Amino acid sequence: MKDAIKVRILQRDPVVHDVRNASLPPLFRGLPIIDDKVCADGCKKCAEVCPTNAITTNPVSIDLGLCVFCPLCEESCPEKIIHFSNDCHLSASTREQLTVTKDTKYITPEKASEKIIKYFGKSLKLRQVSAGGCNGCELELNALSNVNFDMGRFGIEFVASPRHADGIVITGPITKNMARANEICFEAVPNPKIIILFGACAISGGIFKESKEIERKFLEENKIDLYIPGCPPHPLTFINGLIDWLDKK
Amino acid sequence: MISLEVQNNQSFDLSVIPFLSKEDFRNSVLEGMVCGYRMIGLTPLNNDEPEKLISILADARSSMIHLTGGVFDKNDLKFESFANLFPQTNYFECELAENHGYMLLNHPWLRPVRKQNMISGNKPYQFYKIDGEEIHEVAVGPIHAGVIEPGHFRFQCHGELVYNLEINLGYQHRGIEKLLLKSNSSQSIVLAESIAGDTVIGHSYAHCSAIESLSKTQISLRAQVIRSIAEEIERAAMHLTGLGGVANDIGFSLVASSYGRLRTLVINSLALICGSRFGRGLFVYGGVRFDLNDEMVNSILNNLQIVRDDVEAVNQYLFSSIGALARFENTGVVQNELAAQVGLVGLAARSCGIEEDARIHFPYGAYRYSPVSLINLSGGDVFSRARLRAMEIDESLRFVIDQLENLPDGEIKTNFGNVESNQGVIAIVEGWRGEIVHTVFTNDEGNLSHYKIKDPSFNNWYGLSLALRKTAISDFPLCNKSFDLSYAGHDL
Repeated sequence: MKDAIKVRILQRDPVVHDVRNASLPPLFRGLPIIDDKVCADGCKKCAEVCPTNAITTNPVSIDLGLCVFCPLCEESCPEKIIHFSNDCHLSASTREQLTVTKDTKYITPEKASEKIIKYFGKSLKLRQVSAGGCNGCELELNALSNVNFDMGRFGIEFVASPRHADGIVITGPITKNMARANEICFEAVPNPKIIILFGACAISGGIFKESKEIERKFLEENKIDLYIPGCPPHPLTFINGLIDWLDKK
Repeated sequence: MISLEVQNNQSFDLSVIPFLSKEDFRNSVLEGMVCGYRMIGLTPLNNDEPEKLISILADARSSMIHLTGGVFDKNDLKFESFANLFPQTNYFECELAENHGYMLLNHPWLRPVRKQNMISGNKPYQFYKIDGEEIHEVAVGPIHAGVIEPGHFRFQCHGELVYNLEINLGYQHRGIEKLLLKSNSSQSIVLAESIAGDTVIGHSYAHCSAIESLSKTQISLRAQVIRSIAEEIERAAMHLTGLGGVANDIGFSLVASSYGRLRTLVINSLALICGSRFGRGLFVYGGVRFDLNDEMVNSILNNLQIVRDDVEAVNQYLFSSIGALARFENTGVVQNELAAQVGLVGLAARSCGIEEDARIHFPYGAYRYSPVSLINLSGGDVFSRARLRAMEIDESLRFVIDQLENLPDGEIKTNFGNVESNQGVIAIVEGWRGEIVHTVFTNDEGNLSHYKIKDPSFNNWYGLSLALRKTAISDFPLCNKSFDLSYAGHDL
């Protein structure tokens, strides 16, 4: 009993209370800021070093759906045009929103439809499907339920069965070997249902885009509701994305 | 035995590997394993020449790695199995058959490794089945109840007791080894970081060490120390995750949430160094990308000191609880002899009383100057695996705090040269689960011609099967979490 009380007291108050404005470590790589400067003649260094070909030049734009948030572009730019801020609000409701240009100051998903907000606004149960995820995204999704992030307080939880779920969260590039299981899982979710893509691999195939072992037909055939970019995305990116999307502010 | 002897991270000319006839190859490899060497690789020279097979054995006592080559008949790839004599080679042989079309002779149990329901020769695979009254089969997965990677488990049960557990993986197969051969240097590191997202540091360490050896790049002492600091932080963080999982599986929620909170502090310390909670972006060829400054060192020391103090109280609470001990002790036992025979590595091996730790037996980087203690327990049960984790957390924190207080000066990056042609290297790193091996060969043009990864999970999944024998099926989640193996690292 004494041990239990001691452990409870040591727990203190670890919760991130203000998830909207929580500060992240200075080196955390979140939303890239692209300065309104002109590239040196014909310079394509950032695009050349990018491991996932997420960058187009002239003018510079970065596709966060592909970006793995390594700082190579920032390092290689002679004009220091690209700079990663530590803003973790990156979730988007369309694929186009994920393209960051010099005009992008923030990314915020458009609000979900009235029907979705009516159904899921107060309580959202999700089933996660790891389809080739390396366990990085899975660890961050697990962290959402820990005492620090405590996503349950917003009425959002992960459930064991797709039959109890309102939607699925896909991690990983969707391997051939998981393609069928992923479809079966989604079919088992009752309507209306949503699809959330978590991490660069799920959104675009990421670093595995060129692999012959992946099968991404499922994503072409279904409407994606929310994109959470990152490698892996920070838990706060996920929470804030859902808060914005479901208008829970 | 006839072999090329090299040390960890020592590059060698491919032409000096002795390539023997089939018979001599077999005798030589058998000789090595009789001496107690452990297999860490069985792979051809490259994918286009499957007939040139190389066996890689590790001898912990002399810290040497033995490579023996054998030339087989290209049109009739037949391999006489070692697995009846040395069960540790079983899975390596299954992988060889699956990846390179070898036909195994006298193999005890040919199973698919990553392919679905198919063994070599495109024959359908039948799961092992026990017949009898009251025998029933339980099939679970690939999707499990929880935020966890996919894998399929088949239990043959009699009542509540499991008689056999067959683990069928491969759902996470993304083709990393093939991608590594055609990727450029900036892609390779990201790929290495994504082999297993929970062992980012372990795998990128092995990858960078291999490439640096192939290009004869020396890295500075400061960079080496920062690398091992990151490795130990990762170890402590993942052990805390594992302990939290074990506590959660017995419904001990206060302990589970406390471990979760402490883990957050530890991985946030890694984020202070490199911006990523898992250490992504820290490793570059020739050193590390981010340097430590006094402010960082102080915040990390501050975090780790809290963890060190608090974890002691949480451990005390968990390991003195009679309810917890009743679930942990004598659950999922793997006997020492069995563990040695099937070649378990890392944490799983050390909890069965096997002295096995690459940081000590195949020292690399900063561990050559600042050794860590070898910790092992002999029980082989859930308790030993959990307790060992708690002890390793203490040791890792001690190491990190020591190193942070005595950081050597110097550069963090050295110039990285070109990879040399026709070279090979074996890079071993002790990840938090155990021994990670990256075997890399280059061709005439100095491009990578072969890349073989062995995650500790490759050895240890079979250990989980053994642990479940004669164990109640209701203890499966607990046993599984006590091993905490990687699906992605196995499936590649």
